[in-house]
Amino acid sequence: MNIHRPRSPIFIIAYKEICDSSRNRWLAFMGCMFLLLSLSVSFAGSAVTGSLYLPELDSLMSSLSTISVFIIPLAAILLCYDSFVGEEESGTLLLLLSYPLTRSQIIFGKLLGHITVMLVATGFAFGLTAALLLLVGEQYHSGELVMAFAQFLLSSNLLALTFILLSYIVSLKCTEKAKAIGCLLLLWFLFVLIYDLLLLTLLVSDFSFANQLLINVLIAMSPTDLYRAINLVAIEGEGANSLAMIVSTDWGLSAMYLLFLLWIVVLTFISHRIFKGKPL
Amino acid sequence: MLDTPIKLNDVSLKYRDFTALDNVSFEVAAGQTMALLGHNGAGKSSLIKIILGLISPTSGAVKVMGVNATSGKGKREVNLGYLPEDVSFYNKLTGLEVLSYFAALKGVSRSRVTSLIEEFGLEYAQDRQLKTYSKGMKQRLGVAQAILSEPNILLLDEPTVGLDPQASQFLYGKINQLKYAGCAVVISTHELSLVESQLDRALIMSKGRRLALGSCYELRSASPLHTTINFSGLTKQVSGNAYLRQFYRDGLLHFRGEQKAELIQHLVSQCQIFDFELKEPRLEDIYHELMGQESHSQAEQL
Repeated sequence: MNIHRPRSPIFIIAYKEICDSSRNRWLAFMGCMFLLLSLSVSFAGSAVTGSLYLPELDSLMSSLSTISVFIIPLAAILLCYDSFVGEEESGTLLLLLSYPLTRSQIIFGKLLGHITVMLVATGFAFGLTAALLLLVGEQYHSGELVMAFAQFLLSSNLLALTFILLSYIVSLKCTEKAKAIGCLLLLWFLFVLIYDLLLLTLLVSDFSFANQLLINVLIAMSPTDLYRAINLVAIEGEGANSLAMIVSTDWGLSAMYLLFLLWIVVLTFISHRIFKGKPL
Repeated sequence: MLDTPIKLNDVSLKYRDFTALDNVSFEVAAGQTMALLGHNGAGKSSLIKIILGLISPTSGAVKVMGVNATSGKGKREVNLGYLPEDVSFYNKLTGLEVLSYFAALKGVSRSRVTSLIEEFGLEYAQDRQLKTYSKGMKQRLGVAQAILSEPNILLLDEPTVGLDPQASQFLYGKINQLKYAGCAVVISTHELSLVESQLDRALIMSKGRRLALGSCYELRSASPLHTTINFSGLTKQVSGNAYLRQFYRDGLLHFRGEQKAELIQHLVSQCQIFDFELKEPRLEDIYHELMGQESHSQAEQL
């Protein structure tokens, strides 16, 4: 029989995940949600002050990152919560494992597919916003605006990648889809709201034990705070708040990106280990 | 092609204090269909997973197409097809997309996908999402997926559960085509009446142990269950025949499988019969008899 020279299974699985997300209308939904978010922050964000004007680039990026820190992890969770538990429930995980594939290829294929979906959705929404701002916003320097949005896109997708991997870990550990989404929403709540609130409380309080190193470590321990810190440090303007000031004194932007990469490497390793040891 | 693509020798599988498989040995030859029969939890699915190389036995040897299945190399080197129990695939994708996806993962050509879609009568629904497919259509797609690469070994877990008799017959027809082409087929099923006419050998299991192994003929011969013969004028013929009297009870001749040839020879040569009705124990009867013996011996041990 006619056997094709096989493409890499990673690309085949990634392509299937993209088709699945597109058929589920996740891609369209997330693209529209991010677009609505970025357009309203950019063009209608000043409405609360009583007049309509385009904000300064620093405060625009600050506002965008403040809202994205809630939305991007949630989108990543909703996209990936059933990646493994869903396939297990439908019987396709066992089938995939009977194919000439390694577990690493399955996990990296899914990861490539899911991050591509996030990249397309965020790239479309934030890219279109940046293009519109360039067209109508005379006060923006095009180079600065493009760089600011590129930096914002990069950090947003690193945050998405972190939550995709967290979703994989939970999806691999849970035996039911409902349990997986429940656990992940709890994680989202802890990372995005509770941990952040506790950290800010620590920052504004004058505890003697809360020295610079401890605060930096606490920021590094939460991907959402790392994301906030990256965006605030990158702005380095009036939008920067106490979190950015504290972080910027010790760590540069590249160090924080490295920390983000460390999160991704560690989570990839953990999800890989769990998948390898998963009983069938 | 290897004469015996599947060889299991003294395979045991233990999870702490639970024994899932206890010294199970069997072989499946090329062009042979083996049925794995047993209650839920008997170890049938564990055996299939061991053949697939998805789990390693605690002890024993497993050779699949001459490759040690526990080495992890098996599934990369062996052309194998598998249909898990109750697989529902990806509901948002179309039938064609699902089959193309699995074909791409196996490096199988697009033309093979198209011909299988036609062969399995799914061309009218190939562009419809799987959520609109009936159970029978999904199962046909599942079997098409399993035979994509024209495998040397085909493992099917409950392939006909929930299907109407016509759909089951269709699937067995397709499976038989592969079998005649030299594929070794292993079917795990609870539908004994349906599989009886399709299998070459059966392995009957209980609680991880082998209760019986052999062809239907061998199982019948070894079974204490009787075959019966009836024909018109039987009572009259028996009255004057001492040989037949030993088998006569309740208006029928009762005998064991291994006595069949001798008895029929006697009837043909010594009696004037024009037609007779032969009732052999069905696979289902043998299965229930074995299960009954097993629970009886367990009760005695307690």
